[in-house]
Amino acid sequence: MSTAVLDAPTGTKEERSGKYLAFHLGPEEFGIQVLKVREIMGIQEITAVPHTPRYTKGVINLRGKVIPVVDLRLKFGMEEAAYTQRTCIIVTEVEGESGSMMIGAVVDGVSEVLNLSAADIEDTPDFGGEVATTGLLGMAKVKGKVKILLDIDHVMTHQDLNELGKILS
Amino acid sequence: MNSSEVEGLLERVATQFMLGEDAETVSTLALLSQIAIPAEASELVRELHLVASKNMTGEEAWSDEASRQRMETGLDRLRQILSQPIAASEAVAAPALAVRAQPAVSSALNQDPELVGDFILEAREHLQTVESGLLILEKEPSNPDTLNAVFRSFHTIKGLAGFLEFANIQALAHEVETILDLARTGELVMTPNLIDLTLESSDYVGKEILRIEAQLYGRDLGEVLDPSALLLRVKAVIGGDHSSPGAVAIVEAVAAVEARAVIEAPWPVAETPVPKYAEPASTPVAEATAERVEETSKDTKTKKTVVTDTPAIRVDTAKLDYLLDMVGEMVIAESMVRLDPELSGTKNTRLQRNLNQLRRVTEEVQKVAMATRLIPVGALFQRVNRLVRDTSRKAGKLAEVELVGEDTQLDKTIIEELTDPIMHMVRNSIDHGIETPADRALCGKPQTGKVQLKAYRQADHIQIEIVDDGRGLNKDRILAKARERGLVGEAVYLADSDIFQLIFEPGFSTAEKVTDISGRGVGMDVVKKQIQKLRGKIEIQSTPGLGTTFFLKLPLTLAIVEGLVVGVGKERYILPIFSVHEMFRPTVGQVSTVQGRGEMVMVRNQLMPLIRLYRSLGVKPKNEDVTQSLLIVAETEGRRFVLMVDEFICKQEVVIKSLGASLKNTQGVAGGAILGDGRVGLILDLEAIYVERRSKAEILKESLIEA
Repeated sequence: MSTAVLDAPTGTKEERSGKYLAFHLGPEEFGIQVLKVREIMGIQEITAVPHTPRYTKGVINLRGKVIPVVDLRLKFGMEEAAYTQRTCIIVTEVEGESGSMMIGAVVDGVSEVLNLSAADIEDTPDFGGEVATTGLLGMAKVKGKVKILLDIDHVMTHQDLNELGKILS
Repeated sequence: MNSSEVEGLLERVATQFMLGEDAETVSTLALLSQIAIPAEASELVRELHLVASKNMTGEEAWSDEASRQRMETGLDRLRQILSQPIAASEAVAAPALAVRAQPAVSSALNQDPELVGDFILEAREHLQTVESGLLILEKEPSNPDTLNAVFRSFHTIKGLAGFLEFANIQALAHEVETILDLARTGELVMTPNLIDLTLESSDYVGKEILRIEAQLYGRDLGEVLDPSALLLRVKAVIGGDHSSPGAVAIVEAVAAVEARAVIEAPWPVAETPVPKYAEPASTPVAEATAERVEETSKDTKTKKTVVTDTPAIRVDTAKLDYLLDMVGEMVIAESMVRLDPELSGTKNTRLQRNLNQLRRVTEEVQKVAMATRLIPVGALFQRVNRLVRDTSRKAGKLAEVELVGEDTQLDKTIIEELTDPIMHMVRNSIDHGIETPADRALCGKPQTGKVQLKAYRQADHIQIEIVDDGRGLNKDRILAKARERGLVGEAVYLADSDIFQLIFEPGFSTAEKVTDISGRGVGMDVVKKQIQKLRGKIEIQSTPGLGTTFFLKLPLTLAIVEGLVVGVGKERYILPIFSVHEMFRPTVGQVSTVQGRGEMVMVRNQLMPLIRLYRSLGVKPKNEDVTQSLLIVAETEGRRFVLMVDEFICKQEVVIKSLGASLKNTQGVAGGAILGDGRVGLILDLEAIYVERRSKAEILKESLIEA
């Protein structure tokens, strides 16, 4: 498909402003809305589930509930990295087709909570025809560094996000 | 004038009069006379007031037959006068009501969905009381407790429906209430026709509630059902001289006009107030059975009251699930603390004692928490009561139900999933099992057939039996039919139990003719599938001429499964123990490769396919040599196969958890469970693993053929 699938970014700038949890995958910095985050936990043993996509690392026990865990690096088509002391699981609560559900996201590390005003957030730039930008809320410039704001509902409930990797590479 | 108010007062007078509360009777009559009611009625009230006053002052006495008579007929008449104009005006309004109800319904729904939700729940409970009550009344038409209970239920439904502006339900419930009230005061006998009418009315209310519920959840189940025909029939009973056959005739005439497809009932239609189904040639045996049945039904009734009288509250199931999750975590945390090397090796006796106490309490809490999901099977059994009544009539047979163990508890989900299979089996029992009264008489059996439903707990599972005393399964015919269809080879010998299992084959039916009740051969296979889905087993016992018994063996709850925890590579998996037969370490030569069919294992002279679990699940095993591994013989849907795993870890009861929406449909995985160390283990879906392996083998075979 040569035509770009360019969805309008979700929400106006005002709606997008607020607190974001900043984390990183390799050199890239990301942010997800704090309201979507249930908790952050250190990496732990993940039970692998057969016949699932590579980015689905498996399931963990979150206080009696079994929840799936997704490796965001793999989800975005980035290179796999060994888990370290700093690797975290961000437990997110996302809206899926069948209501809200909890999904864990493996990230290289979390850094801080950012308070972003509407002025800090810019719409996602056009990356050219090949790249779909759904799954992104926008870009934020904080202290001279660009952070990619994720629409985590979309990221967690859609499969084809490999193209995001193209933005990152 | 508020008709229900007047009616209430009249009600009160009648009761007070009956109880001999003279002073109260007089004062209530005085109250009545103050309310504006039709002239004829107020005259009567004044007259009755006089009679009652004289009684109170001792001028006359109730023991005086004339005075008592006057009061009784007076009240009677009053009731008629009061109900007629209302009835007439409502009869005219009835068709209009149906149209008017639509906006009213939605407005109430918009106003307070929660209230409507409560109404739905409550009304359903009352309908259940009504239904079971009416079935008792069928046997003892003047049982006062039951009449009262049914009356009260209709009364409550009427009140609630009125409050929420469900005019149709209110109008109908009001009329039915009047009938029941007449029955309560002994002026009307609950004949089978009347019971039918009342049941139909309760069905109508049930259907309306279903519609309201659908609307509540934003679905549309169509137009408001028109109750006017039913209303007219009910009114015909109330309006007419109800003890004469005339009223019944009207009811029947209307019924005939409606052309309902009810086969002529085999018993004499009650044109006499004699309520019992006449048994023309009842042998002493038949009578004895009937009596015994009645006794047991009384027994179960008293038992039931005990159950329903337990105070209960409604709890959101999500809350319960959360509680169960937390309790599960608590148990794990407790065992982790208790087994911690620092604590388990302690010499401190006080600490040891406290830890033991903690363990006992935790176990108890777990047991109680698990029990919260269990509900008695009574409600399900009650529905069978009604079903047997309707089906046996339709099929022109006589049948009675006997319920045993209604307070046996089962997981709520299981009960819900069990309803359809049980209904189906009971329907079959009546249609195929129980013979016609004439045939039964020829066999020397009581004309009324008996269907027994028993539930009881046996060790860690629940057994449900559906017993009929009908003709039994015809072994030869089943076998012949199976041979005809090529299900069984000509020379194959089958044990009785295996022959009976054939009726669970899809499309299997030995019925000579297809009735609208059953006989199409659709169903028993579905029944079996459903039972298996509930991790249950179904078995049949049958003796020609004496009847058939279906045995259902079900787990107490779906939430827990007993599993074998096995290790493959670094992963641990749980195999449900009910599908595991045995495990063993293979010897060299036991495993062979059959061309086109993959690896096979010889177990007790039977060749079974070998499934290397590590391949199915895509994990790296500790070793790939079969002789170094552990083999497990498993069975699903009657097919046996062998699973290869690295090691056996333990046997454990686990709580089944969903893997969440995104992983729910993962092939080969039935769910997850939290193991003793707090980590998640996957519960395997052996059926899916077997099917997948087979399809792979078939692809392989096909590619070989092509090559």
